Amino acid sequence: MNEFFGPLDSKGRVPPHQQTRVAAFLISAHGALARQFAFTLPLQLESAWQTELNAQLYRESETVSLLMRATSWVPDLALGFLAASWERTWLPSAVEGIADRPMASAAGLAALAHAVHAGIRPAALLPVEIDAYDPFAMALRRIEFESGRLLQAQIILLKSPNLLPFRDAVSAALERRHVEVRKLWAEALQGVGIVSRRSES
Amino acid sequence: MPFLSHGPHRFRYEIEGAANAPVYVLVNGLTQYAELWAAYREALVARQFRVATFDLLGQGASDKPRLFITQDDQVAALRLLIDELGDAPVFLSGISFGGLIALRYAILHGDRLAGLVPMSCFAELSPQLLLLGNALRTGLILGGTGYLQDILLPMNLSNQWLEPLLDKLDSVKRQGWLVNDVYALQNLMESFLDFEPLTPQLASIGVPTMILNGEFDFLTPRALHETLRVHIPDSSLVIIPRGYHAFTLEKPALTADLLARFAEDVLAGRWQGNKAVWIAPEEAGGALTPFPAGYDHLRAIPTQGATA
Repeated sequence: MNEFFGPLDSKGRVPPHQQTRVAAFLISAHGALARQFAFTLPLQLESAWQTELNAQLYRESETVSLLMRATSWVPDLALGFLAASWERTWLPSAVEGIADRPMASAAGLAALAHAVHAGIRPAALLPVEIDAYDPFAMALRRIEFESGRLLQAQIILLKSPNLLPFRDAVSAALERRHVEVRKLWAEALQGVGIVSRRSES
Repeated sequence: MPFLSHGPHRFRYEIEGAANAPVYVLVNGLTQYAELWAAYREALVARQFRVATFDLLGQGASDKPRLFITQDDQVAALRLLIDELGDAPVFLSGISFGGLIALRYAILHGDRLAGLVPMSCFAELSPQLLLLGNALRTGLILGGTGYLQDILLPMNLSNQWLEPLLDKLDSVKRQGWLVNDVYALQNLMESFLDFEPLTPQLASIGVPTMILNGEFDFLTPRALHETLRVHIPDSSLVIIPRGYHAFTLEKPALTADLLARFAEDVLAGRWQGNKAVWIAPEEAGGALTPFPAGYDHLRAIPTQGATA
């Protein structure tokens, strides 16, 4: 077990079975976020903050598209079982205790997005010997970088005055999402010989 | 790797040295982690001190609260750690953000301390520091941890330290980048959003206090340390020659020696703060010299003038 991808091939690239597992997980998570943002995005924007929904939808879609093209795919027999488990976890879950249902749903989506954008750092799996110009490595760096920026919308919403009266409920939902997401991420990595350095306490 | 718990959060700590020895507790700066004190652990343990280091909540191997973390939480965690240390005299030192947490602890629980050493520290946000802090936070948000490191390295370290590392800066930054998460650093930075100056409370710090300030500290310049010197009764200010904000990284032998000498003086009853201003030696073991009388230690050019 290692904290990083490897052993790398002779050209400094991540082994295809590790690429496949990590890309599948990320496509599942970011794809789920893209779908949920798409359902939330109105055809006609009515408020300024909804412009962020549009940005989130297309950044998530970009992540999915990028990984589909940058990954060296190989068959992974465990993926069927794993993907079912992942997809169940991403299902929308409104924050309990907030009577305003649209707000509760938005907070629930933000909690999931926060957990994915903040808790998953795929570029941190790249060892120093990686070929810096390998498309998969470049894709992971880009996804981690963009996640840090996408995260800002979730932070702003979850800390917004509208949700401050529900701080305990929001914190509990966020904590639950982080634990779920990091557990799945750690399990996905473990299956391809990588130990997550940030397993939950 | 031992942990202590503050509420639902665990933080990692390490204690090294003889059980009954006087203790130095060292508090990290914003983007630091406990391993960066390794040279201090070695030097201070060799001088018969016990040394406690830890990662603040949101840093390194400690838990990273998802949204909300206050400076009061950090002080509470520090208190838990100090409570672990028994009855031996405790000297508390911290750099930058860690210095601020140390100041807060000293204001609330000064009776537990034998001495205090704030380094590259501040009790209030000057307009420059406020705006720099905002810019650093924006840099973190837009460019990630790596970009924040890119700004901090040239701001806080000397040309002499940076020059031999110019072609391997990525490896210098890597560990800090690996152990720090954007959201966790952002939470630490946003703990300043409701910051109130500590200046009115500094007079309540009754313990001997040695304030260390790098000669060329751009981020927290002399005037911010002067606030500490003027308001903390039993204090003195020691200027580190050619030191920048992160002089603890550049000059561990000198700084550890100053820490040890300060504690030894306090324990031997030799310490006299007198709100004096000193210049540290260039190398460990050298003599401290008083700042030349009649000159203004707040200026960068030799200007005659009297300050309080």
